[in-house]
Amino acid sequence: MKGRTIVVTSGKGGVGKTTATANIGSGLAMRGHKVVVVDTDIGLRNLDVVMGLENRIVYDLVNVIEGDCKLHQAMIRDKHKYELYLIPAAQTRDKNSIDRDQLREVCAKLEQEFDYVLMDCPAGIEQGFKNAVAAATEAIIVTTPEVSAIRDADRVIGLLEAAELHKPRLIINRINPEMVKRGDMMDMRDVVDLLAVEVLGLVPADEKTITASNRGIPVVHDKKAPSGAAFLRIAARVDGDEVPLVEVTAKSGLLSKFKGLVGLNGRAYSHA
Amino acid sequence: MALKTSVVQVSGRGANVDFAIDDTGPFDEVSERLREYLVENRRLWSSGTISVNAGRRILFRDQLSRIKGVIEAESGLTVSRFWCSPGDLDGLDAAAVAAAVAERPPEPVRSKAVEAPPSSQPEMRLPGSAGSLKGVPGEALFIKETFRSGESINYAGDVVVLADVNPGAEITADGDIVVFGCLRGLAHAGAGGDPKATVIALELESPRIQIGPHIGLAPATGQRSKTTATGPRIAYVRRRSIYVSPFTGRFARYSRGILYEG
Repeated sequence: MKGRTIVVTSGKGGVGKTTATANIGSGLAMRGHKVVVVDTDIGLRNLDVVMGLENRIVYDLVNVIEGDCKLHQAMIRDKHKYELYLIPAAQTRDKNSIDRDQLREVCAKLEQEFDYVLMDCPAGIEQGFKNAVAAATEAIIVTTPEVSAIRDADRVIGLLEAAELHKPRLIINRINPEMVKRGDMMDMRDVVDLLAVEVLGLVPADEKTITASNRGIPVVHDKKAPSGAAFLRIAARVDGDEVPLVEVTAKSGLLSKFKGLVGLNGRAYSHA
Repeated sequence: MALKTSVVQVSGRGANVDFAIDDTGPFDEVSERLREYLVENRRLWSSGTISVNAGRRILFRDQLSRIKGVIEAESGLTVSRFWCSPGDLDGLDAAAVAAAVAERPPEPVRSKAVEAPPSSQPEMRLPGSAGSLKGVPGEALFIKETFRSGESINYAGDVVVLADVNPGAEITADGDIVVFGCLRGLAHAGAGGDPKATVIALELESPRIQIGPHIGLAPATGQRSKTTATGPRIAYVRRRSIYVSPFTGRFARYSRGILYEG
């Protein structure tokens, strides 16, 4: 069995890489896959917190690489009943503690055992980013509908192409439905036109994402939350299902809800 | 200053030095005499960047790199670019041109795809980093992928982009820049100093345009949206200022447009 190694990256910090990693990982596990999420943000780890596993950490990624423990000893099983594991980052070290070949080697071992290896990439385009990108075979870009995040996403897509990671897919996170309704938000089609990559999902801004992260239960477990449903659809798309994109809109009348259900609102976000 | 010798003519303005190399003699002889000249006059320069004017001579890549090698080894100068005068090609013997074209090495790398640069190309841009590509004057470089933030190119001919140029990307060309897409990044046409160069784009949303020595800043957004609709645009220089007009053809007369203030 050879799993897929996917890096979740953005360039800009604070757009929701870690949240997306936790939710897509959980979503894939909920679909019955064996998944491991790897926090490569060494020195600033927080994937463990978002998944509610911070109290169970004994060993971390740097311990594995330096040979202090076996790979399996650093894997923490998720609280839920799914086949989901976390390899946390070291908090007391920095990005230069590992190099790309070491991370590549770890991922190669994980691919033998898991269907999906998801890497949470650090912000920025320095060593930590380069390590994570070198180890991955696919990439997911997370951005928010803000000019600064999009500029960074554009830069990162260029760097990914240079690193031979072609066809990254895009998640636009934290789309504010009220602002979309008022016309104050950037048009998603403009974002997609500019970045010229395939869209993997549109995630509405949702307070439940934040409360879920704080409680250590990724929002994808809450099927009533709009963002949770969006992440579940993203997981399905990563898994190869054809799920139409659902446009983010404010709570609306019965008709548009119905249209949403039958997929009429799912616009074609095409790109060249 | 201007030092006249039979092989090489050196002229300089401030920090800029041009080497004009004899374009009639046999290549080997000229290159040897260039070397002698440099050794003799070593005390004239210590370090710096120069451009080389090859005149009417059609140089092959290995010849370019040999000249570059001779100059850099003997003088401590760095050769940043080569010029030749394509206009003079008309005066050349047709057979010589045909022979040169037949012998010309493969075309330069034309897309952003990573490809090992031939050794005689002094610099090659890799995606995601700044760099430059030696141009063949009179020929255009085609780029067929989106030009993204942080990517830049410097080319000694015309540049044609069959995609968008995103904010934060930079294109510098000695010739014209044509973008079949939306130009949102920075464009510098006529970078060798030619104010007749133009920038043409299907949509022009650059905050700043440079043509030759002139710089123009786009008017404030509110003002711009009032005065322009979307559509192809051309940026050109009139009376030392950059103007942008709806594009109506390469040889149309452009007299009015929106001023991009320098």
